[in-house]
Amino acid sequence: MDIDDILADLDAATVPQETLDIQLLTRLWVAERVAPELLVWPDDLISRITERMSAQVELIEEQTATMDPKSSFGLIVLQTEMERVKFLVRSYLRARLAKVDAHPLYYNEGEPAGRLSVEEKQYLTAHQTLLEAHYGASFLGQFPAQLQRMDDPAGGISMVETPDAERAVFVRALRDAGLVRMPGRDESWDVKRGDVRVVRWSAVRDLVEIGDLELI
Amino acid sequence: MKDRDNTTAPSLLYTIPTFQSTLIDLHRTKFPSVIMYGDASLKLVQHAKRTQTLPHLPPYQADLVRSITREVRALDASVQSTISTLTSGGTTPFDPDTHPGPAAKILTEYVVMRRNKRCLLAYHRVRAQRVDESVWKGVDLLEANAEGGAEENAGKGVSSGDGNVEGALSPEEEEYARAYGELVAAYKGRWTDVDLTGALEPPRDLFVDVRVLRDAGEIQTEYGAINLTKNSQFYVRQADVERLIAQGYLQKLS
Repeated sequence: MDIDDILADLDAATVPQETLDIQLLTRLWVAERVAPELLVWPDDLISRITERMSAQVELIEEQTATMDPKSSFGLIVLQTEMERVKFLVRSYLRARLAKVDAHPLYYNEGEPAGRLSVEEKQYLTAHQTLLEAHYGASFLGQFPAQLQRMDDPAGGISMVETPDAERAVFVRALRDAGLVRMPGRDESWDVKRGDVRVVRWSAVRDLVEIGDLELI
Repeated sequence: MKDRDNTTAPSLLYTIPTFQSTLIDLHRTKFPSVIMYGDASLKLVQHAKRTQTLPHLPPYQADLVRSITREVRALDASVQSTISTLTSGGTTPFDPDTHPGPAAKILTEYVVMRRNKRCLLAYHRVRAQRVDESVWKGVDLLEANAEGGAEENAGKGVSSGDGNVEGALSPEEEEYARAYGELVAAYKGRWTDVDLTGALEPPRDLFVDVRVLRDAGEIQTEYGAINLTKNSQFYVRQADVERLIAQGYLQKLS
């Protein structure tokens, strides 16, 4: 244990949960925007944040109603903060939806289970139904029956596109994590805390998910 | 015999081109009026490619789509009848080894059908994505396209009649756009506090200067009502006017 760890412990003890949540969301937001595939849905975190947001909205409305000139500056700070948190959540959710829409059939097959939130799952199914109805009405309905499938693997090419797991990502090591093999090369990376590297997503996916590495 | 052949036909025909495209080019120069399988699909994919870079959605290629679908049905009928003759109406199994010629024909026709399907899917998907985008941006596609078309016509100095104003969407696409709008609204409903269709730029200031480009009527804000008349300028909370900026009623001044 070095001085950084002691400081980190101290920090963790004094920093309130609210602040930690926002920090965590910011990290997840960055990760979600750079990772080639959908990451795990943080159900607890999101419900904590939405709860606190509605509480904050109420507080702001209350203070606005009183129109106390003394509180108006504080109010602007609160509102500005609200806008920022809103942006974070919005951008995070939209980044996820964009990925779902890019590879709908892949996620629809329940490929990586537990990645999608309940709402995202519903959205995906509904959107897919809409698209299929649209294709069907536009042209596919008049096709011979054996050619109407949307996930046809015939002819050696599957119709289901998958996210590109071989894309390069930037990662930072949060703690020592031993050796990581680099795919396709006879080389390993001895992960030391603080290292920053460009690697293929497939090589570090598991380490990112358990929190040894973070995407940047 | 061999000499006679060489004098009557261009010698090019006897060399085997390395690339398929050379073969096709050759074919076209020799028989310009011949329409090949997949021609219509190729055109459609080129349309799709072009659509990706255009600022507004071009009109739906209903004729092309129809002719491709017809081609697929004709090919399917041809495959069915070939198989049916060779298997005496399905009583004997079809053996490609005893009929290599028809087998190759069936394979070609089948591959063309699959290719046509992919091209159609690609075309429709590109367009559906544009529809999705406009739904998220809150732009009414029918309106936007009528304007885009009108501007284009004005620029060219020609009026092509009502063709463009009718809208670029096919009836199926209009239906899809409506249904997708409902779906997005439903998903947004779960996140009322966040307003998912809001700006995807990080917010800098709570308040912004805006200029009114088009009359937008009166809006209610926490600080009372504002009447947005053309050419006036306001200092308002960004969250209150975000939609109007996206829809082009207001312009943000930096």
